Amino acid sequence: MALIELQDVSKLYGFGDATTLALDEVNLSIDKGEFVAVMGPSGCGKSTLMNLIGLLDRPSHGTFRLDNKKVSQLRPNQAAKIRRDTVGFIFQSFNLLPRLTVLENVSLPLVYKGMSERKRLKHASEMLDRVGIQSREYFLPSQLSGGQAQCAAIARALVNGPKLIIADEPTGNLDSESSRLVMELLSDIHKMGNTILFVTHNPELTRYATRVVYMHDGTIIHDEQTAIGSVATTARKVLYTLPTTKEEDDLAGVSTLMKALPSKNTSRKKGRTAVSKPKKNKRTAVSPRKKKS
Amino acid sequence: MAISKGHIRAGVTAVRSAKLRSFWTMLGVIIGVTSVITVVAIGQGIKQQIGGQIHKLGNDLITIRPAQLHGSTGVKNNGVNVLSGLNVTGALTKKDIMSVAQTPGVSASAPLTITTGAVKSDVETYDKGFVIGTSASLASLLNQNIEYGSFLTEDDMGTDAAVLGAGAAEDLFDENVPLGRSFTFHGHEFVVRGIFNRFNTTPLSEQADFNKAIFIPNDVAQSLSNNTAPTYEILARPKDKKQTAKIAAVIQGTLSKNHGGQDNFEVLQGNQNLQSSDGILDLLTRLIAGVAAISLLVGGIGIMNVMLVSVAERTHEIGIRKAIGATDRQILSQFMIEATVLSLTGGIIGIILSLIIDLVLRLTTNLQPVISWQVALLATGVSLLVGVIFGTVPALKAARKDPIDALRSQ
Repeated sequence: MALIELQDVSKLYGFGDATTLALDEVNLSIDKGEFVAVMGPSGCGKSTLMNLIGLLDRPSHGTFRLDNKKVSQLRPNQAAKIRRDTVGFIFQSFNLLPRLTVLENVSLPLVYKGMSERKRLKHASEMLDRVGIQSREYFLPSQLSGGQAQCAAIARALVNGPKLIIADEPTGNLDSESSRLVMELLSDIHKMGNTILFVTHNPELTRYATRVVYMHDGTIIHDEQTAIGSVATTARKVLYTLPTTKEEDDLAGVSTLMKALPSKNTSRKKGRTAVSKPKKNKRTAVSPRKKKS
Repeated sequence: MAISKGHIRAGVTAVRSAKLRSFWTMLGVIIGVTSVITVVAIGQGIKQQIGGQIHKLGNDLITIRPAQLHGSTGVKNNGVNVLSGLNVTGALTKKDIMSVAQTPGVSASAPLTITTGAVKSDVETYDKGFVIGTSASLASLLNQNIEYGSFLTEDDMGTDAAVLGAGAAEDLFDENVPLGRSFTFHGHEFVVRGIFNRFNTTPLSEQADFNKAIFIPNDVAQSLSNNTAPTYEILARPKDKKQTAKIAAVIQGTLSKNHGGQDNFEVLQGNQNLQSSDGILDLLTRLIAGVAAISLLVGGIGIMNVMLVSVAERTHEIGIRKAIGATDRQILSQFMIEATVLSLTGGIIGIILSLIIDLVLRLTTNLQPVISWQVALLATGVSLLVGVIFGTVPALKAARKDPIDALRSQ
């Protein structure tokens, strides 16, 4: 039974002529226990997808089932409760509250659950032990190294026993050593049966994943299963066979990965000029329903 | 969602983490609460002091004093005087004194006649007080004890005996108990018969200070001044308390006849004085307290502004809290509690400050402000209310933030 099930999910931003399509009829099904890496160039809709799955946002069209419950049109408070109980977030910039100690940060989700202070601090402390930074309990986030801060953030994501962990570029702000540490930790968590969804730009990190999803222009263009421990085939192609990004590609926001993949619609690409986020201005006010034809 | 101890602690922590800013925020509430409490306390204090004095004199005390003839259009007395002011015109005569004394139902009466002239002892020439001619009943009419010696008696009438106010005794003889010592006044040598206990003085009152006065028999005072000394007040007490109003009316009639039908005097009963002064004091207290309450309002607006800034500054934090599962209501209550903690702390500091001001006033002036627990409770309640009212707008703003936008802001 799929934990996450997206059916024709679209997300539109803005009104009238300024409408942009961030997600274009995405269909995605993720089973319990999968470790999914999401890759794609900036502005391809990865973050929008993460926000939708994490219930921070609602799809404009389509249905989204999380844990067999239809959650596509929840009210903010209901969404908050599901977020609290079933989703754990890990961010690129850690997002720990700077004025709270590590322990208090980790116990914060439990505060919103209404757990008593003693119980939640005990719980948080256990969780910090699990990620290996229990000795830093009473430190402030600013006193931690990047790797430790991300470990604390992971502990916070885990403290509620979520069914799903969403990590948006968890290693984006870390050096390679800390990255490895954080990824090993996520890998351990995965081995214990958790479902993890993470966004990355680094093809190397697909090594840890069981499945890699490539996105482009708001749609999923490639989806492959991969063995743990080896870089995904498509990603490896990017990594080893392609030259690094050229300057003009950089300006146009075209990544190496994009070039390596078969384009969705080549004719559209030709007309594109050097703007930083081409897809944002591309198709204005197009209803996703019309596109089906 | 119930508000737990943890929520309040989080609010206190947030306030404490920005101590200086919190203080400036609270300042408006502190000033507001302090001024409201202090103003009301001073008003209450004066009321009680005057009330206490009237109570001591007794409700049944009838006061007869000269009045301005044309004063009938306005208020007859200026409200805060207990016994009388000396600034009134008209005069009470010897005949009036006799009439009051002989009115049926009057158990005791005493005139207060001011006699001018310098008083000399072997130590000092005394000019700070005045000499008052009176009768033997004065001490009992004023309910004032004699500390040393005794008051003038009926037998002392016509003799050169004197009783001193506590202050006059010290000033005139440089000692507290100058019993038996003498001073000269208009060529007569007076012997000190007794010393009064210290009279309570009343703030705002223009009343003569009896502590500085020298009391001599009324007939001696009259003869020394060739019957020109003005009697500025006659005090009388009825035998039966219940008859006070009736007897006051009788005195009014008799004196009116004495004055040929001209009412250039007034007859007041003890509680009449109290009522009018209470009314004016209440009005004044309310007025000033109202002005002070405006500063509470301004304080509330201050809290609102700082909370709005705080919400804007902490947008990212709100985003994080929402992402990890805080509902809108939980964010709302977080900021509401912060605003309430701010204003309530301000209110409590204000109460403490007004207690200190109260103490300072008691030590340095003759005011005796009374801080009632009702007023303190009211001030606390109002500051709580200010926090809730002015915390609502910023808290709502925080609660309604979109989590994605909030997370994106840095």
